Amino acid sequence: MQNRRHFSNFSPRLSRAWRMANCGRRLLISCAVLAPFALAAQTPPHLPPGGLIQLQVQQPGVDITSPVAATAGFDPPVARVGEKVFYRVSVDATESSVAWPDPPPVPAGLKFGAKTSGQLTQMQGNRFRPFASFVYEVKPAAAGHFTVPGFPVLVAGTAVDVPAASLEVTAKDAGLPAPRQLRLDLSETNVFLGEPFRLRVILPPGPNHQIEAVREIELNGDGLMTDKTALQQAIEPVNLDGELRPAFVAEMIATPIAAGRQQVWAQGFTAGTEFTAPFVIRGPASLAAGPAKYVLLVSDPVEIRVRPLPVAGELPGFTGAIGKFFADPPRLSANRVQVGEPVRLTLTFHGEGELTRFVPPLAPRSRDWQIIADPPPATSFTLVPLADDSHETPAIPFSYFDPETGKYVDLTIPPLPITVVGEGLPATVAAADDEGNAQPPLKLSVPARRPGETAGSLKPLQLRPWFMGLQLAPVIGFIALGLWDRRRRYLEAHPEIVRRARARRALRRERRELQKAADAGDTAAFVRHAARAMTIAVAPHLPANPQALVGRDVVAQLAGGAAPQHLATIRAVFAAADGQFATQPPLAPDLPALRPGVETLLQQLEEKL
Amino acid sequence: MNAFCLRIKNGRRLAAGLVLALLSAGLSSGRAAAGDAFARGLEFSQAGEFPEAAAAFRESAKAQPAAGTFVNLGLAEWQCGHAGLAILAWEQAQWIDPYEPRAAANLEFARQVAQVDAPALKWYEAVSTWLPPNAWVWLAGIALWLAVGLLVLPGIFRRRPAGWHRLLAALAFGIFLFSLTANSGVVSRTQIGFVVKKNAALRLTPTREGEVITAVAAGEPARRLRTRGNYVFVRTLGGAGWLERDEFGLICPR
Repeated sequence: MQNRRHFSNFSPRLSRAWRMANCGRRLLISCAVLAPFALAAQTPPHLPPGGLIQLQVQQPGVDITSPVAATAGFDPPVARVGEKVFYRVSVDATESSVAWPDPPPVPAGLKFGAKTSGQLTQMQGNRFRPFASFVYEVKPAAAGHFTVPGFPVLVAGTAVDVPAASLEVTAKDAGLPAPRQLRLDLSETNVFLGEPFRLRVILPPGPNHQIEAVREIELNGDGLMTDKTALQQAIEPVNLDGELRPAFVAEMIATPIAAGRQQVWAQGFTAGTEFTAPFVIRGPASLAAGPAKYVLLVSDPVEIRVRPLPVAGELPGFTGAIGKFFADPPRLSANRVQVGEPVRLTLTFHGEGELTRFVPPLAPRSRDWQIIADPPPATSFTLVPLADDSHETPAIPFSYFDPETGKYVDLTIPPLPITVVGEGLPATVAAADDEGNAQPPLKLSVPARRPGETAGSLKPLQLRPWFMGLQLAPVIGFIALGLWDRRRRYLEAHPEIVRRARARRALRRERRELQKAADAGDTAAFVRHAARAMTIAVAPHLPANPQALVGRDVVAQLAGGAAPQHLATIRAVFAAADGQFATQPPLAPDLPALRPGVETLLQQLEEKL
Repeated sequence: MNAFCLRIKNGRRLAAGLVLALLSAGLSSGRAAAGDAFARGLEFSQAGEFPEAAAAFRESAKAQPAAGTFVNLGLAEWQCGHAGLAILAWEQAQWIDPYEPRAAANLEFARQVAQVDAPALKWYEAVSTWLPPNAWVWLAGIALWLAVGLLVLPGIFRRRPAGWHRLLAALAFGIFLFSLTANSGVVSRTQIGFVVKKNAALRLTPTREGEVITAVAAGEPARRLRTRGNYVFVRTLGGAGWLERDEFGLICPR
């Protein structure tokens, strides 16, 4: 995190470099666009035969004819047992032309490490001359005098002798300075796959604190991609073994392209004052004087751990952006456009991560919009509406991976409201009859002032289940009428059923009145209703009008003859009922004594109906 | 007991009254909303703000479908440049009121300008355009039960069947049979729709990557045959193929 913060200070410079690159690009484009107009009036100059050669810029030639020489030596020539020493061979030829024997003849007692090689072109006089170097890291295991014998190497098919080189290994410190090495400083050593990080290649000052430039810097190691376009060089104070000293620093961006543990080390040639790119000097520094002496240096390897990006939780619109980014609210150049009229959607992103490797959101596919993304690193879009039924711009999915939280973060550009106006259609057209004679032009009607004829729904009743259910109502009505007619005919054929039903209804009515009279203690009413109820109950069996019946008729209808207590009850009831019309009414019967018998008798008579 | 029965009867009356009141309130509120949206649409039309007018008329038509509302909706859509939606709206106006003169005139005008044809109707579909769709089904129901009633009821009520009973029953039954064909035409016409997007792609398969058979003009009539996912299989005058759902509008949306 500290490294991240430290390196985030370089973002403004990067953006300046971008802007400069953009300005240069725009200038070139402008020149290209204006060139035809500027040159249109010019007449091509007439050149004599062979004159075109004079227009070419003369370049120095490459010296491939001089005899190739090789040098070899240990750096330093005297070392203590176990100290690091470099065996270096340099040849005045290209690296690819040297058929290097790997490993070279190694004396017993010396352990050679991996080979590092590189090449550059040096200016000798007025000609270029290639220069290649081969370096081995050597660790002497025992004291003694060791010599790597001379051996021949083939350079472009010609044998060149590599001279012998000697190393004196002592058991105690010889007091000589350690060999010069590059230092490799990484901003992150625990990164995600594809996460760009900054690295610095540092060349500590040489003898007499003189600063030298480094040329042909390369990173060795599998699974790492470097971006040399973002190379920055500076001479600035660097903490070297606890002491701030000015040193040459080359800073660049690397991106891991393979997961796992990776070994990375740097190499480069010391180049005196040959700075191949603009550089910044911070603080006092003394530069090396004299011609450059090219020495291939290497750094100690640094291990980095590269973790793959999690597959789970990946969000739409992930373009590989890793870091921490923010987006300003998107802006539209217009909020009302016609179909086919382009509108600019301006997006601005900020971030704490490496914006040099920032991949802007990709243009999504949309049926209603043509979406054109500006070429990277620009992040804006040109939107062209294809239809006028859009009320908002399409959402542009975008997300990035935050290495701190280890999660994907959604940064989708939301839709923006916009009014798209379509092309109008004509409201009148000329008309003609079949013979081509002009007719009054056809035109649209005027708007209706009232809604007019309405409907509950556009869906017709034929397709509605409830309406089909409604058709059952007449069916049910007709069925009911048919059943009623059938019952009526049946009752007409069986009148006794009607008489009994009527008798039952009348008997129940009389029993209710009987009950009321008994509750009220009205003996006269009680016997009257009791007598009427009995005659009603036996009338359908005779058949006869109930008013024409007497107590004997009731007795005759009792099954198996009347029981003595029923006879007494019937006599008492009818006697009391008939006695009401006598001039001297008899004594009223005892109502509480009579009531149970009457009720039992009526119950029996009703059961017979 | 009587008081209890009286209370029950009063409760039923009260519930029925409440239901009727709620129904009438719902209907009247829907009509009021439709009327407000219609008035707004007219104001927008007069001000030349046709997209807003179309939205207001569409809202009004959703609350209360009406022939005049669809006529105005079609005019607003036409002014917005949506020939397909305009033709669809005028067809819907004619669906509600087959004798709406403005819808007929506008359809003739639009088809001449957009160079599209009217839907080819079968004979029973053409017959069904004589009356509004719901009129046909009511006519069929009334005619059928009138015929049945005239044949059955005199016997039940012990009346001698008169000659005019039989004559009227035969006439009603004939009307019923005739209206059956019109009703089948109405049902068949519910599958007719119109292409509402310009140059809609008629595809061979119901996928976005499906091969494009031809481009269909907005307002072109088509008959829906089946639906799958977001696509409808239609038969146009130029051939059959799949259209996206939002590129095709039925007269009678479901």
